[in-house]
Amino acid sequence: MSDASVYPEPNNTFKHSKRNVLSIIVDNEPGILARIVGLFSGRGYNIEALNVTVVDIKENLSRITLETIGEQKVIDQIIAHLEKLVPVHSAINLADLHESYEAEISLIKINYENEDQNLKTLALADIYRTRTVTKKEGIVIYEISGTSERVNKFLDDLNGINGIKVEIVRSGPIGLGI
Amino acid sequence: MNNSEELNGAQIVLEALKEQEVDTIFGYPGGAVLPIYDAIFGQNFLKHVLVRQEAGAVHAAEGYARSSGQVGVLLVTSGPGATNVVTGLTDALMDSIPIVCITGQVPTHLIGTDAFQECDTTGITRPCTKYNYLVKDVSKLSEVIHEAFEIARSGRPGPVLIDIPKNVQLAKSFYKPRKEISFRPHRIKSGSIDISKEFIENLISHVKKSTKPVLYVGGGCLNSGPKASEELRKFAELTNIPVTTTLHGLGCYPGNGKLSIGMLGMHGTYEANLTMHDCDLMINVGARFDDRITGRLDAFSPDSVKFHFDIDKSSINKNVNVDFSTNTDIAYALSAINDYISSNNIEFNHNQISNWWNQINEWKSTDCLKYEQGEETIKPQHAISRLNELTKNKNTIVTTEVGQHQMWAAQYFQFNKPNSWITSGGLGTMGFGMPAAIGAQMANPEALVIDIAGEASFLMNIQEIATAVQYKLPIKIFILNNEYMGMVRQWQELMHGSRYSESYVNALPDFVKLAESFHAVGLRAKNVSELDETINEMLNIDRPVIADIWVDKKENVFPMIPSGAAHNEMLLSKYDEEKPENQEKGKVLV
Ligand SMILES: Cc1ncc(C[n+]2csc(CCOP(=O)(O)OP(=O)(O)O)c2C)c(N)n1
Ligand SMILES: [Mg+2]
Repeated sequence: MSDASVYPEPNNTFKHSKRNVLSIIVDNEPGILARIVGLFSGRGYNIEALNVTVVDIKENLSRITLETIGEQKVIDQIIAHLEKLVPVHSAINLADLHESYEAEISLIKINYENEDQNLKTLALADIYRTRTVTKKEGIVIYEISGTSERVNKFLDDLNGINGIKVEIVRSGPIGLGI
Repeated sequence: MNNSEELNGAQIVLEALKEQEVDTIFGYPGGAVLPIYDAIFGQNFLKHVLVRQEAGAVHAAEGYARSSGQVGVLLVTSGPGATNVVTGLTDALMDSIPIVCITGQVPTHLIGTDAFQECDTTGITRPCTKYNYLVKDVSKLSEVIHEAFEIARSGRPGPVLIDIPKNVQLAKSFYKPRKEISFRPHRIKSGSIDISKEFIENLISHVKKSTKPVLYVGGGCLNSGPKASEELRKFAELTNIPVTTTLHGLGCYPGNGKLSIGMLGMHGTYEANLTMHDCDLMINVGARFDDRITGRLDAFSPDSVKFHFDIDKSSINKNVNVDFSTNTDIAYALSAINDYISSNNIEFNHNQISNWWNQINEWKSTDCLKYEQGEETIKPQHAISRLNELTKNKNTIVTTEVGQHQMWAAQYFQFNKPNSWITSGGLGTMGFGMPAAIGAQMANPEALVIDIAGEASFLMNIQEIATAVQYKLPIKIFILNNEYMGMVRQWQELMHGSRYSESYVNALPDFVKLAESFHAVGLRAKNVSELDETINEMLNIDRPVIADIWVDKKENVFPMIPSGAAHNEMLLSKYDEEKPENQEKGKVLV
């Protein structure tokens, strides 16, 4: 087992990486996502990651977490525009917060062909403390969570195992400030 | 209306409009709005104005809103009815005009099936409205309509669209009066009405220190209501600060007021632009540092401390970084400032800026708007000056189309009160002026409403003459006919080696005969000697008039800050040469 920590501290990672991860609370209504996405597409900005889920059933609120790459000035402008949208309650850039915490969840399906690949995969899965969702002959699905950086590292390391096939789904980064 | 009685959706629409005190609606019928048209039939609180193309309805609603301060309302059918209003909605969004647009939609069970006259109206209009709704449940309809009006007029005003499927117009429910609806506060983004003492004190201390201040006033002052203009005038007079306005700010401070230095920007006055460039304190009241105003950004007013009043937070630091800002509604902000000044007996030493005024008066003395009117051909500037002179004592509202004539109207017509000047600034929509005049005349039956037009723009919504005739709206269309898309020709002359590609307006109709065929009155002035007479005749006719004024085809709008140039690189006349490096840079700009 390696000594290297596979648990990067999840705090203030947005701030340090200067990723623009926006956290937006909205009324859960048709069209709201299109309204928000339109602010990015209209400026030719790409959305790198996006997560939307209802977080308050009683008030019918969703939280949207969205990662984008762009000029600071433009991002600030987009936030000001987000705040103007009728169904938006609040919009913040997690990177602007004094203290914030990050997490991401990912499912990773691995097809392996031989025992050597199986053992190498198992060892990595152990180091990264993944959860085994299911395991069958030649196929395993792991669940890994933590910062995006941690998930990236796991995927990088898996890349080093010759011959396995990897299929990935990621929630994208989510975060909360204090 | 008895609350316990069930109504259909169409009747609920009418009930809500009545409660919103809407008395005029512009519209055009079609299959998907027939139930609402049926509800309009035989009632008498709401006057429906039948336009001749939906674009006319939306510009008319804009003109109505701008000239009355009320929300403008229109009603159109699904599919092509809805797509025809897209330009106007965008226009209203850009110029912050409160309108509510009701569109019919195919019945809910057919949505998404490419049904006849179906289009994704909320999808198409999402980026060009402040907000829009697709109402699928009739029990929500009253609430939606009342919220739509609230959203349209609150904060930075704008267009709101309500898409109502035909089956919802026919389904039954109870009408919910406005007082029974509690709006969720986050959805109505009104401006604040409180302003921090700190901001006031900062402003006052900067005014006290400044030796070269300027007030730069925009359409936000207009949108804040007449009180904002009143308070602005008071503040300007207390401090003796020169006032320049944007295209939309014209009239917020009287054009004939002693502190007025005219419009600024691309075709603004020499004195206004140099004042902006050289000032040490800029107080921006409801303007948004638009590119027509700032010219080259890195050379924009380099040495000034900047204050910015804007109800819209997203306008602050968007194009130009400012030192102090407030999102308080301007009428409240300025009245709080004026109150603070009077209750603390603060006095401003006008001598401190007397050198500044000397400088400004020297700039003024170049008389940048001078022109030479010869014996024969009418100069467009002269036509506007005479129109201004001959309408001086009337209650006049001017609308415009887009082009050179629009700029000449802004330069040579004097606006002394707010809400009397209606033009498409942000989007620059040709075809805006005549329907906007129809809307303004509906809202102001007693006013003299004049559309200052270019012949090319006028052709874009010419069909609305029929609307004016039908409703006996005595609007005056004053065409500066130069047989060119003059503004395009001017840019081609300045930036594209006078290659007049497709800017000549060929095959023009005979506007006098055209007027007559629409049962309106047509007049024509071919040379200077006929001008005053034609204008007077136009003013004396109590019917729609098209006055075809033949003007100099070669005239250009000056002064001009070419795109990409700085305020102090203005061209004063055709004899000024543009710097070649600016010409190259300017070519990519609009
Ligand atoms: C709908 C639309 N299409 C194109 C333009 C571009 N444009 C701006 S001014 C102008 C020419 C306007 O010609 P005219 O109405 O005759 O006015 P003039 O400049 O001659 O006074 C054009 C084509 C526009 N503003 N709006
Ligand atoms: Mg023309």
